[in-house]
Amino acid sequence: MISRRLEIIRKTWYAQEIFGFELDYPGIHPTPGQFFQIQVDEGIDPFLNRPISVASYKATRLLLVVKIVGRGTRMLGAKNKGEHITLFGPFGGRFKPHKKKSLLIAGGIGIAPLHFLAEHLSRDKIPFDLLYGVRTTKDFIFRKEMKSMCGKSLFVAEKGLKRKETAVSAIRRMRIDDYQVVYSCGPKQMLIEIQRLKLPVPVYAFCEDFLGCGCGLCLGCAIKYKDEYRRICVDGPIFELGEIDFEV
Amino acid sequence: MFGLDFRNPVFLASGTFEYGLIYKNVTNKVGAIFTKGITLEPCKGNPPPRICEAACGLINWVGLENPGVRVFCRDVLPRMNELKTRVFVNVAGFTPEDFAEIVNELDNRVDGFELNVSCPNVKKGGVAFGRDPDVCAQVVAGVRKITELPVIVKLTANFCDPLLVGQRCVEAGADGLSLINTLHAMAFDVKKKRPLITGGLSGPAIKPFALFCVNRVKDLGVPVIGMGGIMTGRDAYEFLLAGAKAVSIGSATLRDPYAPLRIIEELEKFTG
Repeated sequence: MISRRLEIIRKTWYAQEIFGFELDYPGIHPTPGQFFQIQVDEGIDPFLNRPISVASYKATRLLLVVKIVGRGTRMLGAKNKGEHITLFGPFGGRFKPHKKKSLLIAGGIGIAPLHFLAEHLSRDKIPFDLLYGVRTTKDFIFRKEMKSMCGKSLFVAEKGLKRKETAVSAIRRMRIDDYQVVYSCGPKQMLIEIQRLKLPVPVYAFCEDFLGCGCGLCLGCAIKYKDEYRRICVDGPIFELGEIDFEV
Repeated sequence: MFGLDFRNPVFLASGTFEYGLIYKNVTNKVGAIFTKGITLEPCKGNPPPRICEAACGLINWVGLENPGVRVFCRDVLPRMNELKTRVFVNVAGFTPEDFAEIVNELDNRVDGFELNVSCPNVKKGGVAFGRDPDVCAQVVAGVRKITELPVIVKLTANFCDPLLVGQRCVEAGADGLSLINTLHAMAFDVKKKRPLITGGLSGPAIKPFALFCVNRVKDLGVPVIGMGGIMTGRDAYEFLLAGAKAVSIGSATLRDPYAPLRIIEELEKFTG
């Protein structure tokens, strides 16, 4: 069975609109980029589940980090420790990180799945650096955790720091040649801009979207990849960035 | 029904369970599966965004993405034929001749056909056919000449009376009717001040209307398969009370792929 009803063991507010649920979920082996479909309400409204990627999985402790972006995620944010949530998954293709020196580029809540990737890289002793951009400094999460796992780290913000810049503008002052692979996760516009930079190393994008089923049934989450439509939920959510046609 | 025995009267609707191959443990326990719409030539489907949540349901604009009937026969059908359930192919033609040709390719390799004359998400054929009783009758008659397998017509209720269209389809030789397909719907992007999606509404939002439509066609002398927002056994039973001989589960599987199993169990409590 892929569905579970689990108790929220701990709830943490990381920022004003960002919170995390810790759940005890033994017997699963999620890989970076994989996600769960969380049922918002037992009734029929909101109708669809919300896809939330794995931010951490250690021993049997699963951490899901949610940013409030609308009514559904706001309703999830009203749930507290001791309450139960129903989730389906883990969904998403199984991705094996490369054993190469990596750069992680996170934009906003895109840090959540990259934090889980960082756990894997760190466990496998694969060196990596981090570039993490947010709108305002209040939105930084996992700062300490990421610093403890990565080599160099660069934190940038559009507001709240002396130098105002985005993750994309910060890439331009980095030596990308130092890396053999780049993983990026963030808003679609960030991915589009990174794509335009045509970086000289393979870049993987962790994609997100509004999903229907999350498990390949409905073909609702199409993305144009290598000139044909693929499903973000099962064919991704990790794709080679250069091969995505964002159709803008 | 249709001279076939079905394990139970709970079916999987076209378009929301792929080809039944991802969750075989669900597919193998329902009465029948209706494939995604199969066209003559491969169909890429529509560009994103393809879905948008609505109150108690969703709007989709997937647009018949499928590999075309020949690749379907070669790559998908052999795997579907290993399933322990009845397989009905949802046939999506853009012309009456398309329907006949697709059915011809599949004849005697499946349990039956569902003629999709009601997809709101394609420019040609689709719902434009489904509104026109003459065209529908022509499609059915053309297919009837080719196959002796059960032919079900999936009706639309978009700007037309399913009773009028259904009657002509039955006269033309249809063995059954299934309804309703999704309803025309839109959502707008208020920031960009333009449509976000124009597609088909499904889910519990359309259930009361679906029940009305099923009830309207119940006396045409052929079995009716009812669908539209069924989430529970109680919903399914309502469709049976409205006159359906069986029901199909669609959008509920997007919320929970195992919903059909729960619905089967719950329905048994009503039907004893």
